Amino acid sequence: MNTMFAEQFNEPATNHSTAAPIEHRFNPYSDNGGTILAISGADYAVLAGDTRHISGYSINSRFQPRVHTLPGEKPLIVSANGFSADGETLVRRLAQRVEWYSYNHNKPLSAKSCARLIQTMLYGKRMFPYYVATILAGLDENGRGAVYSFDPVGSYEREQCRAGGAAASLIMPFLDNQVNLKNQVDPATGEPKIATDLSLEDTVKLVKDAFSSATERHIQVGDYLEIKIVTKDGVSVEYFPLKRD
Amino acid sequence: MSDPSSINGGSIVAMAGKDCVAIACDMRLGMQALTVSNDFPKIFQYNNSFIGLTGLGTDVTTLSEVFRYKVNMYNLREERDIEPETFANLVSTTLYEKRFGPYFVGPVVAGINSKSGKPYICGFDLIGCINFAKDFVVGGTSSHQLFGMCESLWEPDLEPEDLFETISQALMNAQDRDALSGWGGIVYVITKDKIVKRLLKTRQD
Amino acid sequence: MFLTRSEYDRGVSTFSPEGRLFQVEYAIEAIKLGSTAIGIATAEGVILGVEKRATSVLLESSSIEKIVEIDSHIGAAMSGLTADARTMIDHARVESQNHYLTFDEAMKVESVTQSVCDLALRFGEGADGEESVMSRPFGVALLIAGVDENGPQLYHADPSGTFYRYDAKAIGSGSEGAQAELQNEYHSSLTLQEAEQLVLKTLKQVMEEKLDAKNVQLSSVTPEQGFRIYSDDEMKVVVEQLEGSEVPIV
Repeated sequence: MNTMFAEQFNEPATNHSTAAPIEHRFNPYSDNGGTILAISGADYAVLAGDTRHISGYSINSRFQPRVHTLPGEKPLIVSANGFSADGETLVRRLAQRVEWYSYNHNKPLSAKSCARLIQTMLYGKRMFPYYVATILAGLDENGRGAVYSFDPVGSYEREQCRAGGAAASLIMPFLDNQVNLKNQVDPATGEPKIATDLSLEDTVKLVKDAFSSATERHIQVGDYLEIKIVTKDGVSVEYFPLKRD
Repeated sequence: MSDPSSINGGSIVAMAGKDCVAIACDMRLGMQALTVSNDFPKIFQYNNSFIGLTGLGTDVTTLSEVFRYKVNMYNLREERDIEPETFANLVSTTLYEKRFGPYFVGPVVAGINSKSGKPYICGFDLIGCINFAKDFVVGGTSSHQLFGMCESLWEPDLEPEDLFETISQALMNAQDRDALSGWGGIVYVITKDKIVKRLLKTRQD
Repeated sequence: MFLTRSEYDRGVSTFSPEGRLFQVEYAIEAIKLGSTAIGIATAEGVILGVEKRATSVLLESSSIEKIVEIDSHIGAAMSGLTADARTMIDHARVESQNHYLTFDEAMKVESVTQSVCDLALRFGEGADGEESVMSRPFGVALLIAGVDENGPQLYHADPSGTFYRYDAKAIGSGSEGAQAELQNEYHSSLTLQEAEQLVLKTLKQVMEEKLDAKNVQLSSVTPEQGFRIYSDDEMKVVVEQLEGSEVPIV
């Protein structure tokens, strides 16, 4: 009861505080942790993500896969990491758009076009963004591996490799060093080393190493690693156990 | 970005090897995004102990002088060099004295005990809580990147030359992903009877 | 023909008992009143040609615009109520640009044609009280020519919203005669230059006026140059070639 009315009607004061208004505010975003990583090669691309799903210090799930395969006979894999409700929504809407495209134009959506479509969808929510770091992996028109990475509002770039999500800052310099051979020189000539295509086996090893390291030092990363691999033959999946602490 | 510990930027990393330790820092001093100096070393030597100080530039300079003063007093009173373990405790108590008005720093100590010959590295928070580590410690604005690098590059019992390569690669690749660190580097590789200081020529951006 | 008028003529989207939509059929008839337009697809590219029928000697023939660009790789020729074509061409242009923006690739010729045809049946009352955009069917047909990943293509879109792909197609008042001529003369190994001449030759046969460089317009779509309308100088050259190759009538 309002104090003014309490006085007016001479009612006994309640023990509720009426001094300051209490503000209730809805926060539309949350952080569900997790990390993703993509590397492209000569005729393949891999996109890997851990399967831990968290809120705050709680683990909601130890196995919540976050790397998705888009529909179509020329497969693309995508992951939108960050606020998982937004990520899941984005991927589902994207999958629908990809399917519509194949019906409307009678051909599969290329990686390049899918990347542009993702930009359009992300920028479409410029004023209320999907709170996600997005990575798309697949094969380009020439059958080479392709990785595209996006910021939450659709700025994008094709890259050799990219880490996204909670432990991106831990993994990214490692990738610079081991994939693009940054800061490495040829001991014989003293010239900077030139990056060449990695074999799929080496890439998968690198991905496992990167995630094992990230798991060691980041509390939001762990449980299982899901590695999806795109080649001309389709998408294959590999699982790798990570520490559960 | 009015956080005092990330106004000036800078990074430190220390690693333990087989009968050796290494400590490395970047050379940048900035004001937010503006680089003011590319000749601002953050590692200081007191006897056979080394300390890397990152954080607010003024506190880095002030503390390095405070430690010089305190180690000199120690030398005069004790008539012997200070050991890394002892120095680490000196750092800790010095920082805790300012418990409610702290220096905004993230120190890292490295050295080899002159008696036992054991490598010693440790890190601190800004009020002096010691973090003893067997493998590596990191500090500064690129600490996340350094954690990722060190965790994947470091391995036990590295020889001095391999330790130098490992710590250099860790520092360079980490600072290249941090806008507030970089502009060169300094690496000390410390063995029982030799200290090797090397300057790293890195990209200048 | 008007003797057959019935009550099913009144509602634009009412089927007659025989299952016909008279207004749509009349719209298709309207095209046969328009000037002739011809398109020929070859392996090298597509040629579009139209007759520019001048209704007055005082008319500036360069102001008759019956071939238009839809995108850098697609063009269209029209016949019938050409004012109606503005809506369709505008729609096609927007769709094509939107596609490029959304997918970072040129829109396929078939997809552009489909999007134009999606418009064609949006006349009449509109569902559930919704305001419909158009009161009657379009009175125009389009020949849509373009080049995409499937090579050079030619499509014909009519007011009923149906479209077909053709090797060679004529629409408009002279279409019957022209189509017969195209059927005789077309073969799959035509060069672009031969197609140019065949379009002109066919137009010449069905036109009432004597063909010259001013009363016809040509355009081409090729993988190399995309869509291009022939300049006045180029028109002079091709018309001279046509006259040179033909046996003069005594």
